Amino acid sequence: MEHTVIFQPSGRRGKVPEGTTILDAARKLGVGIEAVCGEKMVCGKCRVKVMEGKFAKDGITSSMVHLSAHAAKEKKILKADEVKEGIRLACATEVGGDVLLFVPEASRAGEQVVRKAAGKIKVRLNPAVRKYYVELPIPSLEDPLGDFERLKNALQEKHDLKKLSIDFGVLKVLPDILRKAEWNVTVTVWQNSEVIRVEPGKEEVNIGLAVDIGSTTVAGYLTDLNTGEVLTTESMMNPQVRYGDDVMSRITHCMLNEETGLKELQTTIIDGLNTIIKKATNKVGRQPEDISEMTIVGNTAMHHILLGINPEFMGVAPFTPALHESIDIKAERLGIHMLPTGNIHILPIEAGFVGADNVGCLLADTPYKRDEMTLFIDIGTNGELNLGNKDKIISSSCATGPALEGAQIEYGMRAAPGAIEKIKIDPDTYEAKYKVIGDDRWSDGKTNMQTKGICGSGILDGIAEMFLAGIIKKNGQINTGIQSPRIRKGAKGIDEYVVAWSHETSIGEDVSITLKDVRAIQLAKGAIYAGCIIMMRKLGIDKFDRLIIAGAFGSHINKLSAMAIGMFPDCHIDKVKSIGNAAGDGARIALLNVNKRKEANKIARKVKYIELGLEEDFNDRFSEAMQFPHMFTKFPHLEGIVPAEPQEVA
Amino acid sequence: MAFTEKETELINKLKDDVINYKVEDAKKHAQEAVNAKVDAYTMTMEGLAGGMAVVSEKFDSHEYFVPETLLCAKALYAALDILKPHIKMQKGAVRGQVVLGVLQGDVHDLGKNLIKAVFEAAGWTVHDLGRDVPLQKFVDEQMRTDSDIVMLSALMTTSMVGMKKVIPMIREKNPNVKIMIGGAPISEKTVEEFGADSTADNAPNALQEAIHMVDVLKKGEMTAK
Repeated sequence: MEHTVIFQPSGRRGKVPEGTTILDAARKLGVGIEAVCGEKMVCGKCRVKVMEGKFAKDGITSSMVHLSAHAAKEKKILKADEVKEGIRLACATEVGGDVLLFVPEASRAGEQVVRKAAGKIKVRLNPAVRKYYVELPIPSLEDPLGDFERLKNALQEKHDLKKLSIDFGVLKVLPDILRKAEWNVTVTVWQNSEVIRVEPGKEEVNIGLAVDIGSTTVAGYLTDLNTGEVLTTESMMNPQVRYGDDVMSRITHCMLNEETGLKELQTTIIDGLNTIIKKATNKVGRQPEDISEMTIVGNTAMHHILLGINPEFMGVAPFTPALHESIDIKAERLGIHMLPTGNIHILPIEAGFVGADNVGCLLADTPYKRDEMTLFIDIGTNGELNLGNKDKIISSSCATGPALEGAQIEYGMRAAPGAIEKIKIDPDTYEAKYKVIGDDRWSDGKTNMQTKGICGSGILDGIAEMFLAGIIKKNGQINTGIQSPRIRKGAKGIDEYVVAWSHETSIGEDVSITLKDVRAIQLAKGAIYAGCIIMMRKLGIDKFDRLIIAGAFGSHINKLSAMAIGMFPDCHIDKVKSIGNAAGDGARIALLNVNKRKEANKIARKVKYIELGLEEDFNDRFSEAMQFPHMFTKFPHLEGIVPAEPQEVA
Repeated sequence: MAFTEKETELINKLKDDVINYKVEDAKKHAQEAVNAKVDAYTMTMEGLAGGMAVVSEKFDSHEYFVPETLLCAKALYAALDILKPHIKMQKGAVRGQVVLGVLQGDVHDLGKNLIKAVFEAAGWTVHDLGRDVPLQKFVDEQMRTDSDIVMLSALMTTSMVGMKKVIPMIREKNPNVKIMIGGAPISEKTVEEFGADSTADNAPNALQEAIHMVDVLKKGEMTAK
């Protein structure tokens, strides 16, 4: 009897025979779990969390009762509250039913690679919070003015700040601080209107955090508000992935678990943000309380869940969000451990699926200020498209699925050491060489590269190379007529192309790209392409001046590969630029300049949202675009790169 | 049943047109069939539906994917439009009636349209409610038409949740109706969990399931009598 085991956050899944330990299942599926003591139930490094409940997207019901009972030794290592929370030791626990397991950061072997590095941005410094040093006159019987008024007078005289208010929590401690500091204090003022912190003496350090909450990755940029410099970047897998890979499955989790679902997801992301804050401030020798302002971007579902707003209604047609405009909320109200009275600014939402992350992208690239026509593609688990210039901008959203991020791919994995990220195929010999993350060498077919799987950019590269070498036909089929040991029928009877032989891997299996993987990429790229051309039609244009690719994966994308498979309409390759995590850049811009927040609100309402699903011919355009590079449309700029089309045999 | 030479020739032509998604040829051969006064129902069943069955085999063996399947359906529709007015409604020719639609909150109707094409080609009466269909409408339409089967489609997991609500609503009004669910997030487990009767992973399989379910229904009626 076999059971389904799914590991999050890697998303690896597979079937294992009854009685397999979780650790063995992890090895079989290429999931790295620490096992320092050699499975002796001593080190306790292999802790995993067993998720309880129905997971509609994965089609399983996961439960603790699907696992062997606690061994006495295991119980000694686990704390009582850990047992209660469903923590198990992977080495000691046997599988007896379907389970979904979350591997906590501490148990994960091999570091995740940050694919959301901060980009270069140009912005005038005008942060929402500023620090002012004042020396107050000491009160006396002749001058018994209240402490706050005394502070206000000094701030007005010295810094021309008028009509200030004070946070209630700060007011309560004000008298003590002023006296302890002997009346020389640094005051943190938000938006020139509210006192949110009073520190003794002169304190110049003023830092903020810009956050991008992606469905898959969360990145925080700790930023010096005096200089605009990024002090450090901290990123992690979005811990919500344990409730589902994509936005829809998380919304469904909230719907199916009415009482608890939303709260669970909200707590999970807030805990995640607190971890980022702690790690980031720690790295630069500061305290979490030193963060006095935060800006956040994220798609609409991430936005609603973070705020504890029911995401159900934005998750079904007509996809209405709770609100469009940006929100300012004090950190203490969300339980985020920065300066409690500090403000969190969440950028505005455009439409159902096009959220604050897209607004961030627009702020970073400012297509709405340009004369040139820009086509902007933000690739994530959900794809967002923008098209326009200073006169008009339209946007849309398409479900690309997690395939482009390496999930739901036979040997797919997220970007981590051991993941194939680049592939080259010789069109004459059909031989492959590849590069894995964490290793500069190209494979030679003999060396053990410690290969574990293929990440998103590797899949894209591999499929493009297979197409260019003639291994994949225009319609996506694998050309099994080719004589090569790499082209074969796989274990499940599905055609596949072997990229890495088992002796090159650490999982002891050949790593291949299967026909099913090709199909998943066809769906994703077809959706993006169809979205692009429908939007171009809406604006009445047949070409654009610049094409920008963004997203965590955007900065690592091979432009030519993406174009060769027909992910976007034909254009000169020089027009294509990948700019990395533009959404995160937008969050940083809003952190550094308050005027940009107003600009964001204006833009969010200016952009016209197009619901692609409502377009009469979307299905037709979508299905034509699933072929490589397209069923009908020619790609003049690919001439000489793409193999000449063989006559289709009817 | 033995066919005349002309019938066999036209059946094979229509079949090939569907399999090779030749829309114009499909139209031409459908017209030829009408002109030759051969039985339109036979042409539809043996030619068009027969072709679609081959397409589904090709889909199963991964030879065809969504684009090809959709084009095949287009060729089928083009020919069906021409043949339909000439189909003589014999007693028992209609296999059954289905109510079909994509659940509220969902506008993805590619799968639903394929189902419709295959069922219509196979001589079923399809009451297509379209997409983003309010739950109560499924109940009302079933009652109005007294259809044998209600087919619910959803691509998104969020809209799939609606199935859990609508299935008891339909059963309450008519406990005998069969309910089939389909779409990317649907599995055998979902069928069990939501209390549906069955699912299928592609249109021709759905047709097989439907024929089977209606047979069961009819047997049930006979036993009752």
